[in-house]
Amino acid sequence: MTVFPLPLRRSRRDGGPVGRANVWVYGLLIAFVLGSIFPFYWSFLVASRDSSMLTEAVPPLLPGGNFFDNVARVFDTVPFWRALGNSFLVAGSVTVSTVLFSTLAGFAFAKLRFRGRNALFVLVIATLAVPTQLGIIPLYMAMAELGWANQLQAVIVPNLVTAIGVFWMRQYTVEAVPYELIEAARVDGCSMIRVFWHVCLPAVRPAAAFLGMFTFMMSWNDFMWPLIALNADNPTVQVALEKLQSGHYIDYSLVLAGTTLATIPILIVFVILGKQIVAGIMQGAVKG
Amino acid sequence: MSFTAAAALVLAACGGDSGGEQSADGKIELTISTFGEFGYDDLYAEYERLHPNIKITPHTTGQGGPYHETLFTKLGAGSGLDDVTAVEEGHMSDVLAKSSRFNDLAEIGPAGVTPDRWLDWKYEAGRDKDGKLIGYGTDIGPLAMCYRKDLFEAAGLPSDPEGVKKLFESWDSYFAAGDQFVKGSGGTAWFDSASQIFNAMQNQLPTGYFDRQDNLVIESNPGIKKNWDQVTAAVERGQSAGLVAFSNEWNSGFKGSSFATKTCPSWMLGVIEEQAGPEHSGQWAVSGVFPGGGGNWGGSYLTVPTQSEHPKEAAELAAWLTEPEQQIKAFKAKGAFPSQVEALESPEMAEATNEYFGGVRDGELFVEQAHKVGSAQYKGPGDGKIQENAASPALQAVEQGRSPEESWQQLVNGAAQIAR
Amino acid sequence: MRDRLGRWDVKYSPYLYVAPFFVIFGVVGLFPLLYTAYVSLFDWELIDDSPSFIGFGNYVLLMSDPQFWKVLTNTFSIFLLSAIPQVIMAVLLAALLNTRLRFPTGWRIGILMPYVASLVALGIIFANLFGPNFGLVNGIFELLGLDRVDWQANRFASHVAIAIMVNWRWTGYNALIVLAAMQAIPRELHEAAVVDGAGPVRRFFSVTLPLLRPTLIFVIVTATIGGLQIFTEPKLFDAMPGSNNGGSTNQFQTVTLFMYQSAFEREDLGYASAIAWVLFVIIILVALINFLLTRRIASAGEGRR
Repeated sequence: MTVFPLPLRRSRRDGGPVGRANVWVYGLLIAFVLGSIFPFYWSFLVASRDSSMLTEAVPPLLPGGNFFDNVARVFDTVPFWRALGNSFLVAGSVTVSTVLFSTLAGFAFAKLRFRGRNALFVLVIATLAVPTQLGIIPLYMAMAELGWANQLQAVIVPNLVTAIGVFWMRQYTVEAVPYELIEAARVDGCSMIRVFWHVCLPAVRPAAAFLGMFTFMMSWNDFMWPLIALNADNPTVQVALEKLQSGHYIDYSLVLAGTTLATIPILIVFVILGKQIVAGIMQGAVKG
Repeated sequence: MSFTAAAALVLAACGGDSGGEQSADGKIELTISTFGEFGYDDLYAEYERLHPNIKITPHTTGQGGPYHETLFTKLGAGSGLDDVTAVEEGHMSDVLAKSSRFNDLAEIGPAGVTPDRWLDWKYEAGRDKDGKLIGYGTDIGPLAMCYRKDLFEAAGLPSDPEGVKKLFESWDSYFAAGDQFVKGSGGTAWFDSASQIFNAMQNQLPTGYFDRQDNLVIESNPGIKKNWDQVTAAVERGQSAGLVAFSNEWNSGFKGSSFATKTCPSWMLGVIEEQAGPEHSGQWAVSGVFPGGGGNWGGSYLTVPTQSEHPKEAAELAAWLTEPEQQIKAFKAKGAFPSQVEALESPEMAEATNEYFGGVRDGELFVEQAHKVGSAQYKGPGDGKIQENAASPALQAVEQGRSPEESWQQLVNGAAQIAR
Repeated sequence: MRDRLGRWDVKYSPYLYVAPFFVIFGVVGLFPLLYTAYVSLFDWELIDDSPSFIGFGNYVLLMSDPQFWKVLTNTFSIFLLSAIPQVIMAVLLAALLNTRLRFPTGWRIGILMPYVASLVALGIIFANLFGPNFGLVNGIFELLGLDRVDWQANRFASHVAIAIMVNWRWTGYNALIVLAAMQAIPRELHEAAVVDGAGPVRRFFSVTLPLLRPTLIFVIVTATIGGLQIFTEPKLFDAMPGSNNGGSTNQFQTVTLFMYQSAFEREDLGYASAIAWVLFVIIILVALINFLLTRRIASAGEGRR
């Protein structure tokens, strides 16, 4: 594929940041980041004031003093701690299993030869193209049959491994793990699973961390299926937040205080996993 | 399902307990699902005190939209519905069309519950075509007309209760007053949204979009087209603010004084107070004279789906919750306007006043409006959906500049598709 | 003995590795898919005790339904307006993030924030931005002396607004995906190119881009599939709360929204299932075309080197 000779030692193949960041880079990034976080700041503004801000022609730029009152009202209205626990349990188990199974399947699709490999991989991609909205009724029927309705399994099990995860790990593994390394490990007498564990996994760590991050967030924000599959007294965070919009008049400062609150745990996970990704890359860069 | 049934059989044969929902202490667990604010929270504890063998597990959803979507998904999947399931009036025609999936409350409910507990029209609208009682009525939303006194005065219209009576006497006088207002106000709209007006007019017809044999009559019932022509003509003369009800823009319209009148069910007073804010306090008023008589918008029913494993106990709970005494408590807790004749006669209703609307005795006013509602309109399957998903967008299209004729065709096609 | 075990290992362990996906998929993906295919051959109401078999009747009806062709056009319009800028911006953003930055995690969190926005907040925010009468965007237009735009009524304007919503939400996500791949590119390739006298732009096109090929295929294929299934954004964008109409005259209704409307609003499960299958086939075709194109473009880049 590439005209450059491939060195066998893994560390020398490691990449890392390229080029120095100059004023232009920072300028463009600042513009992007401002655009990305503006709506969050704006949500926080509403959450720290009252809903009447939404109807003002020129919105204020600084937060008001009601944020903690609104947060307290969120805790009074919905079982937020319980929802938080449930969401961590759901998103956490979905993330761990998706990363593990996707990496494993991605490795098999990218580097191992077996009969029917291409056909099976096409099937993985095809499942991505299935519109999911209609699946709700048959899925609910299946969950009810299993006796899982209103239980956390109903939102965990269907997401234990995703097509998009398998696809992503396969694409990354193709480039990141050279055949030579696998061959060398095989010659040394490693079994397949040891090759996976000792050769493949270290090389795809950054991609796996990205997948974990995305999966966690996706699962954390999932709304439609949990709303149907779970009951309001045992909710995930998003299902609990729905309850804040009750009555004929919707109190947006309450709703947005809730959504702001729900974003904080994700940011924490992001920082932890983000460090992990950076560390994985830096480790390789130092060795090289 | 077969698996569960088989398992249940085996359990029953072994002397196990087939209920599945019987909790460890031998209590029967009843689940009840509602949305928004029914004001029942304190009542559950009271019921459990009165019935030591019952444990109530309530499930509340915030908004009616996702609530009813979930309801119909579970109805389609054949499981998952609660023992007592609330249904909003707008979705009642869909539920009645599937009445085989619900228990007849007249049959399984307590004997003491008689039709005269409710206002006639409320009771009738809870029954299917064959007369099965599918839902016990909870609350209602009798219609009145809200209007902005200050804007009326500025445009040269009378604003006192006696003066506005003439304006709101009939739809003809209402639209004529609208022309006068738009001219006098320099372009401020007369009403918020065409569909809000059209729906109120549509609901005053003896039958809705279907006849009693469930044939779609949108093209053969001249009353519907007449209402359509009247409303769309008013839109073309600039009477509508073109704000979609409950949208963000509509919320802003209250504060921005974008319109002068609003069709007002009892629960709308609270919405106006919150949206328009303290700076418009005392400027809004409410009139008991409503064009074309009266009407109702909103309110719910309690049903017991056949999925319930304890239908008798569930019906008993639903019957108790919809007793006049309990509905008065719900009214005091969350303002849910009762549909029970006795509750409407209670001093709590007669004494209620509303400071934001100039100290008006709104309880008394809306009780009177509730009695003005004629017989229940017959609604065929999909009636509520046609109103919400065919008529409202078609009227919105007129407000956005499409011709009334083209939009009428859109409504006819849309209704046919929903009825298919 | 050890040899035989080894052969078994090579031959069969791959199946073990891909098995978890296919087992889960069998329950949560395949069953609904086959169920949908079956239902699409019936006149089947949402809650139906005795559906009647009508063969391909639903499909025939669909082909002559003007609403279907209108929403298909909408879908492609919104898809093109969102997918193309999204992929280009994602690659650019990834290149920016792939420089030596201070606080790399901070920047990444910054651009990924939209991805974590809850849908509730998203709906409220965009309704405030694109409101025809009181919206912030029109307010700014007016300040600049431009005409107000009716973001709801105007078909093309509504597509643009929805595409902005989509791009806002997904560009950061795709940028990080591309970034992960960029960081796997061996540094000495760049160094060698520098020695050869290649500037940063040339290096990007002749070194980075060809090596990103597998990841770009991933990004483009998933953006295509996601773009053609677009559902949440147009649903939230409608001024009528909870509406599936996609505007007063379906001017921004997408195929998925139409399918959802047919199933849960019109309760025509058979028809909705037929829409689901037609959409499925369309997506497969477009994804295939995209895949072939991407392969050509990327290998053309390789050839130039």
